[in-house]
Amino acid sequence: MTDIQTLHILNKSPEHPRANRCMEMMAAGDGLLLTGSGVLLLATGQLPDASKVFALAPDVDARGLGHIAGNAISVDFTEMVTLTLEAQKVISW
Amino acid sequence: MSTLIMIDQPPYGAWTGREALDMAFSLAAFDQPASLLFTGAGVNWLRQSQDAGGIGQKTVEKNLSAAPIFGIEAILADRASCKSYGLEESSLIDGVTLVNNDAALLSEYDHTAFAG
Amino acid sequence: MVSNVMPERNNEGFLEDAQEWTEGVAAAIAAEDEVDLSEKHWEIIRFLRSFYKEHEMSPPSNRLFVKAVKEALGEEKGNSIYLMQLFPGTPAKTACRIAGLPRPTNCL
Repeated sequence: MTDIQTLHILNKSPEHPRANRCMEMMAAGDGLLLTGSGVLLLATGQLPDASKVFALAPDVDARGLGHIAGNAISVDFTEMVTLTLEAQKVISW
Repeated sequence: MSTLIMIDQPPYGAWTGREALDMAFSLAAFDQPASLLFTGAGVNWLRQSQDAGGIGQKTVEKNLSAAPIFGIEAILADRASCKSYGLEESSLIDGVTLVNNDAALLSEYDHTAFAG
Repeated sequence: MVSNVMPERNNEGFLEDAQEWTEGVAAAIAAEDEVDLSEKHWEIIRFLRSFYKEHEMSPPSNRLFVKAVKEALGEEKGNSIYLMQLFPGTPAKTACRIAGLPRPTNCL
């Protein structure tokens, strides 16, 4: 799918301290996969620009964010698994 | 005695928010004045067009729309939090009043309790 | 009644899936409580079905059930004596069971 060094899986809302740590740790060439409350990052418009951003579609739909999900690449459960397999490293925040 | 229940947790991630909603409904059941204040990531409860079927949950937007029927006095949302999550008044569910979550607001209630 | 098959239910007799409810199912569940469904019952059942569709929940307690009925159908029907005569036991539980909805969360 992509060449990703480290895939950061973020399931915490932007208010959670760990979300900030995740942003600080992101390097060029890393990927960010938003799941659960993590998809709320899409609503803040504060996405990291150096990285590929993915968002889990059912979590996006649950929160009524389908209309702004264009800022991220939408993935289903199968694609999420593929992403985690293809990345060199994974950090689950 | 008037109670303000604060929800600062995002929807769906944890059960604490639903428990707070339940607490508010229980107060209303016994005709105790209760209001809900959504603040921080909690304002995401109030966005229109949620569909939680794909994650096997009930849609909080629909649950929340029962609040006025049960006698919840007001559904309040912190203005600054809405702004940071890109929520305009037009993208909020019906019946939400924008307020500033500050000491003056809390002083209007006898008791303020957080969810979770 | 098209089918006599009773959908799957939990240990308290509530349907596992509200979609599988039919009027025939309602009559069969009501018969277990020795309730013979009249138009007065159906009015409340229809109200509960539409409430569930709109809010994705059953009224969580008996008091809130009474409040919701009062809001929708007025004081004459939204009072506990009226509802208790129609749905014996705990009215919210009995009515939700017959209407094929989940158990009210705060009813003991």
